[in-house]
Amino acid sequence: MMPQLVTVRIHTGNGRKHRFWVPVLPIALVFSPLLILAAVVAAIACLIYHINPFRALGGMWRLFTALRGSRVDVEHGRSAVLVTIS
Amino acid sequence: MNEQRRDILQMLTEGKITAEEADQLIGALDRDQPASPPADARPKGRPKYLRVVVDATEDDGPVRVNVRVPLQLLRAGVRLASLIPPQALGHANVGMQNAGVPFDLSQLKPEQLEELVEHLDDMTVEVDQRDAKVRVFCE
Repeated sequence: MMPQLVTVRIHTGNGRKHRFWVPVLPIALVFSPLLILAAVVAAIACLIYHINPFRALGGMWRLFTALRGSRVDVEHGRSAVLVTIS
Repeated sequence: MNEQRRDILQMLTEGKITAEEADQLIGALDRDQPASPPADARPKGRPKYLRVVVDATEDDGPVRVNVRVPLQLLRAGVRLASLIPPQALGHANVGMQNAGVPFDLSQLKPEQLEELVEHLDDMTVEVDQRDAKVRVFCE
């Protein structure tokens, strides 16, 4: 299942906290023309380098769907960046 | 063959029961047997994530890095890596050779990498230094 939401939390050194929720599907729909263009370019690159474009796209999709559950937290003193993909 | 099934066949050979009765008894035994779990069932509690935790102390305060990567992501990456064309592997091999690492990447098969990811479950790496501690484990 593809990731649904990316949550980004930023804690600045002066005690301010920011939280962003990025819904993946609506963002993907908004950028779909660019994504289609990128897929076409990637397919051409695959053909140039003798890679099966369908296998490559399938692999990229698997990689994308496997991102769900990833989490990266970096805290430095009072500053922090926390990213969660759910 | 279990004990009860052997007894039924023994009674059949001794003529104590007919073939039909033996068939009925064996059928009843099969119905009573609990359904065996599917072969690909994952054992409970199997780790799903690779965790990297770094605790360090720097001049301007403590640093903590906590990364959680799904093992499924590693598997997907391994599958994607199997698409790397042989020419690129050749270039990488030359680069590694020049860097003093004589390693032939073309000898590394996707199945071996998959096996490696499978056995990450049992891996724990801990590095302790005076001002930093790194832990890599699966959960």
